[in-house]
Amino acid sequence: MLELDSIYKSFYRKRAVADISLKVKEGEIYGLLGPNGAGKSTLIRIINKIIQQDKGFISFKGQILSSKHLNEIGYLPEERGLYKSMTVEQQAIFLGRLRGLSKNDAKESLRYWLQKFEIEAWKDKRIEELSKGMAQKVQFICTVLHKPHLLILDEPFSGFDPINIELIRKELKQMRADGKSIILSTHNMKSVEEICDRGMIVHKGVKKLEGNITTLREDKKEGIFAIQFQGNMIAFANALWTGYEIVDKEVLADNRFLVHLKMRGENEFNDLLATLIPHVKIEKAEEILPSMEDVFIKEVNGPQNTEDEA
Amino acid sequence: MKHSWLIAMRELKERVKSRSFLLMALLGPILVLGLTYLLFALGGSEKKILNVLIMDPQEIMSGKIMPKEDPNIKYSFTNTYVDFEEFAKYEEYQKFDIGVELNEKVISNKHIKVMYRETPSERVKTRIQYHVERRFEEIFVKEFTQLSVQKFREIKQPMQFHFFNVYDPKNTDSKLSAWAGYFFGLIIILFIFLFGMTILRSVSKEKSNRIVEVILASVSARQLLVGKVIGIGISALFQFVLWSIIIGTGLFILRETVFIDLLDPSNFNPQQMTQEIANASMQEKLFAAREYNDFVELVYERIQFSSMLIFFTLFFIVAYIFYGSFFAAVGASMGSESDGQQYIIPIMSLLLLALYGGYYTVYYPEGPWANVFAFLPFTSPVAMMVKLGIGFSANDSWELFASLGILLGSALLMFYLAGKIYQNGILQFGHRLKAKHFIKWLKKS
Repeated sequence: MLELDSIYKSFYRKRAVADISLKVKEGEIYGLLGPNGAGKSTLIRIINKIIQQDKGFISFKGQILSSKHLNEIGYLPEERGLYKSMTVEQQAIFLGRLRGLSKNDAKESLRYWLQKFEIEAWKDKRIEELSKGMAQKVQFICTVLHKPHLLILDEPFSGFDPINIELIRKELKQMRADGKSIILSTHNMKSVEEICDRGMIVHKGVKKLEGNITTLREDKKEGIFAIQFQGNMIAFANALWTGYEIVDKEVLADNRFLVHLKMRGENEFNDLLATLIPHVKIEKAEEILPSMEDVFIKEVNGPQNTEDEA
Repeated sequence: MKHSWLIAMRELKERVKSRSFLLMALLGPILVLGLTYLLFALGGSEKKILNVLIMDPQEIMSGKIMPKEDPNIKYSFTNTYVDFEEFAKYEEYQKFDIGVELNEKVISNKHIKVMYRETPSERVKTRIQYHVERRFEEIFVKEFTQLSVQKFREIKQPMQFHFFNVYDPKNTDSKLSAWAGYFFGLIIILFIFLFGMTILRSVSKEKSNRIVEVILASVSARQLLVGKVIGIGISALFQFVLWSIIIGTGLFILRETVFIDLLDPSNFNPQQMTQEIANASMQEKLFAAREYNDFVELVYERIQFSSMLIFFTLFFIVAYIFYGSFFAAVGASMGSESDGQQYIIPIMSLLLLALYGGYYTVYYPEGPWANVFAFLPFTSPVAMMVKLGIGFSANDSWELFASLGILLGSALLMFYLAGKIYQNGILQFGHRLKAKHFIKWLKKS
């Protein structure tokens, strides 16, 4: 659907993004991750043709991205904004028409979304009469009104309560199922783990990591296992002896523990289980994958990141 | 262009629906009408009775203008010509304040020379013009046509009155029509300022509430700027049309109803007159009617509305683009909504310079600076309106088009430069606007 090939952009000799390439497939949610000032917004503005890249190519559906493709893209910027004195309907018609819809199609599409979100009563309300969360919802509707094939969402969950976050998440999953592509730029790593298929971590304008979200987490795993059991903690420790290293332990109740441990030597998960089964009653045992937050922090704060920035 | 048009229409709707637009459309014309009327009414407060000598060797006017036609003007007649020097120095003419010379070809050339010692007020000037011209109309009708006086007034050419200071006859001419031009120039500047500020506010508002980023994802910065300037420009023209309609209708209704032309013989009704004169307040009304007619005479017959309005519209549109570009550039460069107000001061100074240029042109239409003001794009809209008010001879009309051309070229250049600043500044937030930002954004491609 969308392909970026070695994109460079500087502002007054200060690098904003350098050599960034990525591919977003059909029916995929792609996470764009990075700390503040990493260059995410610049990249998003380049894809939206708000600013022009200095170098590199962007293709959309196999063609060089041009203004004619903008009607197939929906964009929700991080800093939300609507015309405060216009009503929800006027706003939607105006923004819809800018994206190539006819007045009637915009009205029809708005009706569909207002019904879906059960907010038909808002249609004639001016934006200034709505709460911040309500306005956010309207802005989301305005973003998807023209049924874009590519949706670019910058922090789409900020400002929403948990119920509405779930609502938006559900819609995004539905759009993915319908074959739409979504680029999600966010700091909310939980959302990334939950809904993103693939993603990229950008730091100081350069790509640090890219890939399938589960694979990214797998790659960063450190061989730590979590064992929850009932029994004697001393017996548990004795059974492990020198083949394993206890990283952390938590007392859940009398004779009930959760232990994080690392393998030593050639030991594997099955060996661990075989060692423990005769001594304690195992309730739960799993390998711990690092959270995306851990991956993100490690990647951004890692020692290898200190050398760049010209 | 379709996108720019959508943006323009949104702007237009927002402007036209706003209360300030409606308020301006109502209060503006009332203020203009009121001030203009006051100007004339206050001119009538002088107590002095002016002695006017009509030099009429052919005795065309004999018995036509009554010596006491007006309570403040006393007419006397002589059948000899008196030149400037005689009028200025000879003892027998010292008692006269004003001399009106009806030359022997006055019926065909329609030029009348008026000499004065002290500059008479515009009100006195229009009264004398009015009295003399009305009587001439009757003479013309009686001697040369089969028409009624009223019909003749519809088709006649106005008399040309030339006012001279007897002590300095080469210096001045009637400035009334120049002031009328100045008034149009003033309206241009007023509208440019009001609607320029509207552009600035609209741009900075879009920027501060961040809708601009959503819009820019559909249209280019230039399309957005074009749409905005067009939309607000149309609302400004619409406002002016409303002003013209309200002022025009106001004058027309007043003339046709409240201040019916009592001096027009065809409206003369002796019975009604007697009744009205018996009533003191009605007599005042009669006086007011006559005064008003002087004004209407000026408005309806001396200002060449057709060419004035055409060039007003042209100069207004081009000057609006020229100055509007400045306002848009400042609005787009602001770091926050209240930032950058200090950059409005240079624009305002230029607008004030334009007003000064017009004022200068009224007094020294041929002065060395008048030509500079007439062609400098910052000042030409007012200066040219003044010149247009005074009138161009056929040989000089190129000046009008040249000035308009220079203004248009400058406006396009300004629009191009403002577009660059707009494009580069519109997505910059949170800074404190400094002059270096303009330079930086101008340089950036």
